[in-house]
Amino acid sequence: MVGTEAATTPAIRVAVGSAEYDRAAAVLEAAREAATDVRVVETGPTGAAALAPVVLATADDRTTVHANVSPDRARELVETLDDGELATDDAHAVVESDEGVSMAETGPLAIGQRRALARCGWAAPAALDESLAERTRDEPDDLREAVAGAGLLGRGRGDGHTDESIAEGWATARESDGETVVVVNGNESDPAVDGDRLLLESRPAEVLDGALAVAAAVEATDVVVYLNEDDELAAQRVREAVESVDADGTGIDVVAGPDRYIAGEMTMALEAMEGADRLEARLRPPGPSEVGLYGRPTVVHTPRTLAQIRAFAAAPDEFETSAADPGSRLLTVTGDGVAGPTTVELATDTALAEAVASSEYKMACVGGRFGGITRSLDVPASAPALTGARLGTEGGIELFDGATCALEFAGSRAKFAREKNCGRCVPCREGSKQLVDLLRDVYEGQFQPSELRELSRVVAESSTCEFGQAAPRPVTTAIDTFEREIAAHAEGRCPSGVCTETN
Amino acid sequence: MSTDHTGRSESLPSVPSIDDPRPHPPLTEHFNTGTATDPDVGARETSSLTVDGEEVNVGEEATIIDALEEVGADEDLSALCYYDREDTDRIGPRSECRTCMVETDEHGLVPSCSHPAEDGMTVRTNSTEAEEARSVNLDLVLSDHNLRCTTCGKNGRCELQDAAIEADVEVPRYGVFDNRDEYEPIDESSPFIQIDRNKCILCNRCVEACNDVQVEGVLRIEGSGPDTRIGFQNGADEMMDSTCVSCGHCATVCPTGSLVEQDYTDAATIPLPGFTQENSIGKTIGEDYDGQPNPATPMKGNQTYEDDALGEADDD
Ligand code: SF4
Ligand code: SF4
Ligand code: SF4
Ligand code: FES
Repeated sequence: MVGTEAATTPAIRVAVGSAEYDRAAAVLEAAREAATDVRVVETGPTGAAALAPVVLATADDRTTVHANVSPDRARELVETLDDGELATDDAHAVVESDEGVSMAETGPLAIGQRRALARCGWAAPAALDESLAERTRDEPDDLREAVAGAGLLGRGRGDGHTDESIAEGWATARESDGETVVVVNGNESDPAVDGDRLLLESRPAEVLDGALAVAAAVEATDVVVYLNEDDELAAQRVREAVESVDADGTGIDVVAGPDRYIAGEMTMALEAMEGADRLEARLRPPGPSEVGLYGRPTVVHTPRTLAQIRAFAAAPDEFETSAADPGSRLLTVTGDGVAGPTTVELATDTALAEAVASSEYKMACVGGRFGGITRSLDVPASAPALTGARLGTEGGIELFDGATCALEFAGSRAKFAREKNCGRCVPCREGSKQLVDLLRDVYEGQFQPSELRELSRVVAESSTCEFGQAAPRPVTTAIDTFEREIAAHAEGRCPSGVCTETN
Repeated sequence: MSTDHTGRSESLPSVPSIDDPRPHPPLTEHFNTGTATDPDVGARETSSLTVDGEEVNVGEEATIIDALEEVGADEDLSALCYYDREDTDRIGPRSECRTCMVETDEHGLVPSCSHPAEDGMTVRTNSTEAEEARSVNLDLVLSDHNLRCTTCGKNGRCELQDAAIEADVEVPRYGVFDNRDEYEPIDESSPFIQIDRNKCILCNRCVEACNDVQVEGVLRIEGSGPDTRIGFQNGADEMMDSTCVSCGHCATVCPTGSLVEQDYTDAATIPLPGFTQENSIGKTIGEDYDGQPNPATPMKGNQTYEDDALGEADDD
């Protein structure tokens, strides 16, 4: 299966992801049964759940994209292709390409750019066109210098260098004593931030190749891929990719941690991997790049970071290296008015609004579980721009319509913080309880914005790990954006009409 | 110990099979303390810092608080969970209370007890942000504390009480934990040591004293979020069913009235001159207790001498 995709043979591609697994698997089976001459390829998901199951039919440098395909329809598509035809009439899109780089001109697949996502839904998960690892083994300095020169930043809360220089993390690991490990942190339990899962299900070979390239660049002896124990399809595909990838002596281990939000935090990921029977965060500094897995220097990257590194190495000229955060960001759009979770890729200088099809929303929570609440998505997708707008950089945009109450929403996120923290440090463990209580006080007539802000400040600035550091953000940004709406609750009124019954 | 994934068709292991280069002390290896393996947070080399305008030199292994102590700048810090007595190398820093926050030019607000001292660092103890953080965090500790000092066995020798007095806490912002319906029952099962979890600040000192100093492997941290609590490694619900040998070290290091020697539970006393764990707990208190002729719990007896009848095990 590896790298053998002759463009000349007509091919049917069926995108199978965990979200649509049963339906897509039935489509795949139907296509395989019907096929005589056409090649049928199982690919990973495209990122657009609303279109699933997706089938692509390719012949003569043209590809038709078919959405919501039934097994019967799949059979017909195979038969049509067997006759040398493409069913262009009812296609979701027709693309003059046999490379899958951009899969449509309209709809979710047309949003943003598809660089890291280029082959999601197109290539077999274990297929790898070009190996960055091989290149880096020959010239390890090249990748190190290029990544340093470009100033690439880590992606996702689970990365060892979230919004920070990747190259500096590598340098620290290289300077530290011990044999370095590269950890691929693919344990993201939040379904509203789906970029890592998408890459693991669709492009595991690229994720592994990226990890092996980093291993070569930092002279690591081992790569450990850390997954969520519930992500079975990702696990299966990663293991298949491990079979087909050329590790050149680097050990590759695939392990899984619990399906808990905290298990994605970089040091709790290490704790889980060391067999801890209870998860709590480690103190830092020193961070994992100095003292990580079993005390060894450990470079922790998310699949998103690795995809970014590969995309950069493949086309460095397309990266605006003078930017504070060059490259692109994967963003999963979910919520009201969104037909299904959609993961898209935006260049970091593109406004978030580009990722969102409708403008019919009251507010958005940007940046994952502890993202920031905003009315406007007119904010570029770069880390400094998002942080400046008090939003989160975790790749998630959740949309909420007028039937959502900002206070109730902030309260639900504060409760999540209260229930799901690891329990180690006072600002997060106790602060989240008080945050919930102060929000509850609003319903009892007492809205104390300065107390809420004071507490939020201290929780954000004195908590040990990213969980507590981010936890108050939904609350503070809700106050920033909807102060009057929140204050109305103190007078017994919920302007959205949501909280009346609980009052 | 690996997480159990039974019932899954193709379950993955949770622990990678890669080299663990760390030397393992053979005894503590299988203790399940429930706590993270923190990195060594001390400085790697000697350093020179500026603390509130004063130049300070500290040695290897130093954290910022060592520099503060040099010039007495730690006076304004509660630094509640910081343990600065014997066995400091085996107890802490846990760095959970965050009442030791200071401002640095280099890294913003940091916990002084667990942040490595760095050469050239500029530290301020009295910035508005640092004072606010210490004050809020101390109040957060109190918010989860059953503050009934008058009936508490540690009254007069309690580090939380001292900290609150020194910080001039009059009315804690978030109140105190005073909802009797939510109190956890006090564990009075052991004739030697009482546990009142409603007074526990989760500083982990007892766990470290039990595992790293006494190498007994009885206590641990369990649960998460609001359910985080002190528990027993053998899964017991009560102290008496744990493998406790009643050495008393946990009660000695406990900063609050959470772990108290039974004789002191309701005594508003101050420490006796010459008080040590040896003379107070193992012998004196145990002597007149007929249910259990030595201070080890029955479970400890079971564990150590599986064939013997309960209570007959020697205390060695
Ligand atoms: S911030 Fe929260 S999750 Fe992180 S160590 Fe503290 S209590 Fe645990
Ligand atoms: S533990 Fe200390 S502060 Fe708490 S009630 Fe007892 S004496 Fe008071
Ligand atoms: S029982 Fe005492 S020593 Fe143990 S964690 Fe609680 S407060 Fe600390
Ligand atoms: S004394 Fe530093 S965190 Fe408790």
